[in-house]
Amino acid sequence: MTIPLRRLGSPLARHGLTIAMAVILIALVAAPLVTILIQTLQPASGAAAWMDVLTGRLSQNLFWRPTANTMIIGLGVAAGCVLLGGFLAWLVVMTDIPGRPAVAFMATLPFMIPSFATALAWGSVFRNGRVGGGGGLLEGLGFSVPDWLSWGMVPTIIVLIAHYYALAFTVIAAALATVNGDLVEAAQMTGASRKRILLGIVLPVVAPAIIAGGSLAFAGAVSNFAAPALLGLPVRMQTLSTRLFGMIEIGQTERGYVLAILLITISAVFLGFGNRILNSRRSFATISGKGARPRRFSLGGARLPLAILAWAICILTTILPILLLLAASLAPSSLSLFSGWSLHYWIGHSDPAFARGQPGIFHNPQLISALTTTVMLGAIVAVAANLLGILIAVALTRQKVPVLSNLVSQMSFLPMLLPGIAFAAAYIALYGAPIGPLPALYGTKLLLALALTAAMLPFAVQTGRATVAQISGDIDEAARMTGAGFFRRLGAITLPLAIRGLAAGLLISFVNVIGDLAITILLYTPTSPMLAVLSYSYASDGFHQFANAVTLVILVISMLATGAATLLHGRRRQNFA
Amino acid sequence: MYKILAPLCALALATTAHAQDLDSQSTAELLPQAQKEAKVTVYAFTSRIGRVEKAFETAYPGIDMVTFDMSSTEQIARIKSEAAAGVAGADVIYISDAPVVLTELLSQDLVAPYVPPRVAGDLPEHFKSPLLAQRLSTKVLMYNEEAHPDGSPVKNIWALTTPAWKGRVIMVDPLQRGDYLDLMTELVLKSDDMAKAYEATFGKPIKLGAGVENAGEQFIADLFANDLVLVGSTDDVNKAIGAKGQQNPPIGFTSYSDRRDNEDEGWALQVANDVEPSNGIVFPAFLALNPKAANPAAARLAIDFMMGDESETGGDGFKPFYVAGDWPTRTDIAPHPDAVPLADFKGWQIDPAKTAKIRAEVADFILALQ
Repeated sequence: MTIPLRRLGSPLARHGLTIAMAVILIALVAAPLVTILIQTLQPASGAAAWMDVLTGRLSQNLFWRPTANTMIIGLGVAAGCVLLGGFLAWLVVMTDIPGRPAVAFMATLPFMIPSFATALAWGSVFRNGRVGGGGGLLEGLGFSVPDWLSWGMVPTIIVLIAHYYALAFTVIAAALATVNGDLVEAAQMTGASRKRILLGIVLPVVAPAIIAGGSLAFAGAVSNFAAPALLGLPVRMQTLSTRLFGMIEIGQTERGYVLAILLITISAVFLGFGNRILNSRRSFATISGKGARPRRFSLGGARLPLAILAWAICILTTILPILLLLAASLAPSSLSLFSGWSLHYWIGHSDPAFARGQPGIFHNPQLISALTTTVMLGAIVAVAANLLGILIAVALTRQKVPVLSNLVSQMSFLPMLLPGIAFAAAYIALYGAPIGPLPALYGTKLLLALALTAAMLPFAVQTGRATVAQISGDIDEAARMTGAGFFRRLGAITLPLAIRGLAAGLLISFVNVIGDLAITILLYTPTSPMLAVLSYSYASDGFHQFANAVTLVILVISMLATGAATLLHGRRRQNFA
Repeated sequence: MYKILAPLCALALATTAHAQDLDSQSTAELLPQAQKEAKVTVYAFTSRIGRVEKAFETAYPGIDMVTFDMSSTEQIARIKSEAAAGVAGADVIYISDAPVVLTELLSQDLVAPYVPPRVAGDLPEHFKSPLLAQRLSTKVLMYNEEAHPDGSPVKNIWALTTPAWKGRVIMVDPLQRGDYLDLMTELVLKSDDMAKAYEATFGKPIKLGAGVENAGEQFIADLFANDLVLVGSTDDVNKAIGAKGQQNPPIGFTSYSDRRDNEDEGWALQVANDVEPSNGIVFPAFLALNPKAANPAAARLAIDFMMGDESETGGDGFKPFYVAGDWPTRTDIAPHPDAVPLADFKGWQIDPAKTAKIRAEVADFILALQ
């Protein structure tokens, strides 16, 4: 494989990986999107849709106001996530705060709790009488909660920060762990202040991770549907994603696709900016071959207050929503969550007098098959996406090709900006029917796996890049000069050094896949639904206890995965120590 | 490739030739072929299909009913893409969202009508064509009967636009749920009635605002101006209106049949029927065939089964749908004893074809309001 490549001369050998990645990305990402784009360019309906969205009397409500809301949410959430996630990551990785492993574990959990659950949890505490139903906990205690705290922008941003900060935490923590201990030690010995070390050494080193984490949070927030739909609607706050969902839901698909394209464009502009910062600075290389242990700051008197703060953040964003979910899976009435608990929704047999004859989830024959399908698919997709992610990251950092590299970078991020429903629709539009000799993939698990892999690429590539960008090119260069082929260098140098970041990427993808609803709802194979689909169909039929119980099953799987990943980390670190 | 295609083509030819014959066959005549097919796949917009499955398999041992519960919007997307992929997914389609089904599925021959001969005589013409309607469902004004024990606090729909109900009328965003958009569309279609009702409430003829073309649109505009509260799902509406122990509960539009959950959920939902000119809409749930059904005989058998048997309440096939607030379309099935009979119900029965015509315009009108 490597011999003919070498003979083909330097251009292909140097650009081969980038070209291969570009081809894969075109098939996985660009082609489905172009299919949608073409649909909005049909002369009759498409042009009218573009006019309506951008200039007509409807444009104000259809596009401009939702866009303004979307941007505020995106930027607010990105800033909040970087601050919160970065703060926790710093505490866990760089300081001597008590209970570090527990905080580290808990800070990754919020991302596994579906954002609608967090939004519901917010509602159960802060809801006011605007939507009737008697208000939330605070109103129950006699406080009067103003609309701005119950509904709209403020709660949406807070809930999304609580959901996505785990992303920023995971990425930044992985980067902080690679900060060269020697550098910090050198700075300390020469008398640099803590602030100076933070701003002068740590911050520049983790800059790529901060940008990556912020970008992920931004993209996640602007395309999130559940939180603005639940918290924004009662005060009629619309975002691009709620508008887009609505347009597709009421059959105005062209307008929906136009909105999707605009959402992609807007986010692409912002993320392109972040990419430029990442690409233009080459001085991030900090992992040299020597394993220098990160040094921990002693927090001194601030140790206890900061620990309390960290624990408060973790408890508010993880344990509380989980407890509310658990209560909601046991309580017969959603209005009094803490009374009349019954295990029926979990293990009960069918009883016509209870829950309209619906047996508990563990007596639903579909649950077991959904469980295996979900876990299998999650694992396969996570591995596939992250392998691609690392290869793309390597291509982007080691083989810079003008235009093409930029294209690869942009394409790998695109799926993040596409609401799952639109993405799934695009996949059906392209791969649903036979293409030449290739059979139609509609209704197969392969189509679902492909779409999910594409959807996970942004996570995989961002985490991959944050790690690979820090791996010094010197080692690779040295290996290349001593005659090591590309695959040997990948296996012997890049992968082992990137393993920590890769673990984070695998975890994020796995957790994301098993909790995904937006894509699977349109693409799942009818014979074996996924857990999230099962939860959704329970919820849409008003069986909330069952839906919450299935959500908890997803959560438990996610926590087991996280636990396993943390254990692996722990062992690796001992090896270094 | 040919080896795969040949039987498929033969099958396609066979189904077309057989379709007319099968349509007129009785269940006894369908049974042998259906047993040979041994399977029937159903897409349904309600979880109640699970109970139909059990009852069907008891009634017709040897024929496996495979059911998929998904929303009408999902079904429409799925049916379109399956047709494009040349995959015969479902044999039977059980679906609401009539305006979209008629204009986007039936007009493209993606679904086909079938009326079981056994029940054809018991159905009014408009429930047999263009597609078979199995039952009627609603989106109507509901209130909290615990807070208003003497009946509905609203007697005229225009009351919802007055200061007394400012910020206290709740419904699902009509730009996110098709059936709520159908409700808004019906208000526009019934503009003459709306104008009369306006005069009855305010004692003067209605004056239309700028950019408003009829009384229905004026009502929608006034309703939004009166700080209408929008939520994402019918369940949120039910909870908001129905929760017990409220001093001043909101009022709003939801499904009459959700009253059946009052006991389970601790709600006090009740329908406001005595409302001028109407309390909302009544719309059909369709049963249709896939014209390229893989199991054409079993599909017809399943539709026949879901239309109910000859007993007073429709028997096991109809049992899951025999609830207060849903009405059977068959005139010979007795109305549910706890519900307002359809004949006395104020809700407008939608005309899906008319709705489909102006639905997008009404959506644009609402879009300009919020």
